[in-house]
Amino acid sequence: MPRLARGILWLAVAALGAVAFGILALVRGETVSAAWLVIAAVCTYAVAFRFYSRFIATRVFQLDPRRATPAERLSNGRDFVPTNKWVLFGHHFAAIAGAGPLVGPVLAAQFGFLPGTLWLVIGVVLGGAVQDFTILCCSVRRDGRSLGQMAREEINPVAGMTTMVAVLSIMIILLAVLALIVVNALKASPWGFFTIACTVPIALLMGWWMRVWRPGRVGEASGAGAVLLILALVGGGWVANHPIGAAFTYTGPALTWMIVGYGFIASVLPVWMLLAPRDYLSTFLKIATIVVLAVAILILLPPLRMPALTPFATLGEGPVFAGKIFPFAFITIACGAISGFHALVASGTTPKMLAHEPDARLIGYGGMLMESFVGVMAMIAACTLEPGVYFAMNTTPAALAGAADVLKTAGFVVTPVQMQALAAQMGETTLIARTGGAPSLAVGMAHIFAGVTGVLGGKAATALWYHFAIMFEALFILTTIDAGTRVGRFMLQEILGRVWPRFGETSWYPSIVLSSALVVAGWGYFLYQGVIDPLGGINSLWPLFGIANQLLALVALCVATTIMIKMGKQRYAWITVAPLAWLTAITMTAGWQKVFSADPKLGFLAHAASLAASADPRAPRLIFNDHLNTVMALGFMAVVALLIVVSLREWWLILSRRKAATLTETPFVESAYAR
Amino acid sequence: MRGDGRGRKGTAGDGRGLGRLLRQIIGAPDYEAYLEHCRKAGHPPRLTEREFVEEFFASKGKGVRCC
Repeated sequence: MPRLARGILWLAVAALGAVAFGILALVRGETVSAAWLVIAAVCTYAVAFRFYSRFIATRVFQLDPRRATPAERLSNGRDFVPTNKWVLFGHHFAAIAGAGPLVGPVLAAQFGFLPGTLWLVIGVVLGGAVQDFTILCCSVRRDGRSLGQMAREEINPVAGMTTMVAVLSIMIILLAVLALIVVNALKASPWGFFTIACTVPIALLMGWWMRVWRPGRVGEASGAGAVLLILALVGGGWVANHPIGAAFTYTGPALTWMIVGYGFIASVLPVWMLLAPRDYLSTFLKIATIVVLAVAILILLPPLRMPALTPFATLGEGPVFAGKIFPFAFITIACGAISGFHALVASGTTPKMLAHEPDARLIGYGGMLMESFVGVMAMIAACTLEPGVYFAMNTTPAALAGAADVLKTAGFVVTPVQMQALAAQMGETTLIARTGGAPSLAVGMAHIFAGVTGVLGGKAATALWYHFAIMFEALFILTTIDAGTRVGRFMLQEILGRVWPRFGETSWYPSIVLSSALVVAGWGYFLYQGVIDPLGGINSLWPLFGIANQLLALVALCVATTIMIKMGKQRYAWITVAPLAWLTAITMTAGWQKVFSADPKLGFLAHAASLAASADPRAPRLIFNDHLNTVMALGFMAVVALLIVVSLREWWLILSRRKAATLTETPFVESAYAR
Repeated sequence: MRGDGRGRKGTAGDGRGLGRLLRQIIGAPDYEAYLEHCRKAGHPPRLTEREFVEEFFASKGKGVRCC
């Protein structure tokens, strides 16, 4: 295409995106089509990928197709394998996309659709995609080293240890909050519980199939698993309407014990038996559902019923979670805008499979743009609900009563009869106070899917779609719980192995059992406190998770900035320093407010003080939990401060030439593919 | 598929290519790729398919899945 035509095309894309943003920003009370959200996001992604990611690739890292990657130099046919860039894009995306980009935007919808969408779109192009891309580039130039290794070698050992603590902490909070989402979705839901319970024997069968019966035949086993999964989904509907359904109906605390037991067993069992088959099943389901959801939204372009901004954006008294837009919109939506966890994937399997250096741009930057788009779709699904329904589902009765006046003034009302009718339509007994985001996302998805099947002339089957959406979310959350508990166990074994070497042997069974029990006890405790929390658990645990996740992003951005300075590219350091400064501001502000705010709904200490004279028998435990959460939040803030100080010191030493800028980059080797 | 990662992406008419493509995307064990690597490296395979699959699954448990 001629240069002039290309220029006009990109100007047109930019103008279209600007128009879409303008319409979203100026709408006041009118219903707006989801099409404008999609157009604004896609145009921004296109411009950012074309120009900004190219700028980083060429000016900063100077990605070179002639330079052999670790996949080529260290090729062993197992973990180091040169891989087609589109295949690796799919592989990388499957590893980074989980429940986070789906649930975070649903929770942030309490501010209206605009703040969360702006953060998803702007945050990803300037922060999240930059983090993933730069860490991937850094790791590829270092034989696929992990984030922790790079922090230790490029900054200093304190940063390395900080990374390890950050990863373990985030793992504990992450697993607790994800398990809480599953518990809230499955309590008093025989259909949902039956379907999810069936995934365990299905996974065991698949494991036996692909390891013992027909080794390596993952496709066959996954196909059989998918068929059984559909049968379980349909069977769940029958169970729910049968007297036997009582045997599959559980309370939150009962589900908590089950999920804790499941996490322990899954961590102790061999990988092939439960984790690997479940992972394959959830990956297939995840990719297929996301693609179908995107197509369905593009076909239907449903109207957004949630306003651009709700009163809670400025009041800070939201019933879903307390706090104002700044900083809590940016803490609530981590995955989808910027997620430190991705740095572990970008410095894990992906750099070992990259065939050509320039492919890092599509996979690192482009993969994260795709995850952001998933977040935008989740925002659309949540905002297609009537606001009254959204708040009734995502709020505990106590919090709903506290926000009743604001909700009434804003017109966000729903009657008990309407909620009952909706629950019956979804095949549930109740949908009130289904906090955690997953059920409201499932209702939104069910409406969208049922809308498409209705358009195509099929039966709407909304209840089936609702439980399909719940199964889709719960399946990959449980996969993350399997994998996360195991990774946490390995980390604990490594840490304790320094004191007692025998404990560090990952195949020594007493060590496996003990370390698994400790990790499960860690997240299990936070899960339990979330389940019994009168405010619903999400109010305290999700912000802690957001802070922990952004803390890991801080580590990644500090590592990337240090490497760029050592490369002599300090004039481009703003690329990573800008998101780093923003994350520091939101992490510290959110941490401070969660601990010291005088509002009992927001501040842990104020909440504990408000319970001091309470006659509630649960008060002592709730006070203890508030103090524990305070310690966690202060710990995260201390780690952020420490990390910033050691990084600043390192940068100052290098820039003032008091210390040599020693890079640990692998020397250039010409790629055989370039010859 | 060529070993440089630039090979065919697999089409509907190429069942083998498509199967391999899907296996790679979901991170399934690919014994063919291992055999191809051994052939290029000029040494016989050190692992049988069963051993390769077992080792692959063991290492998969150390991978991270994001939230």
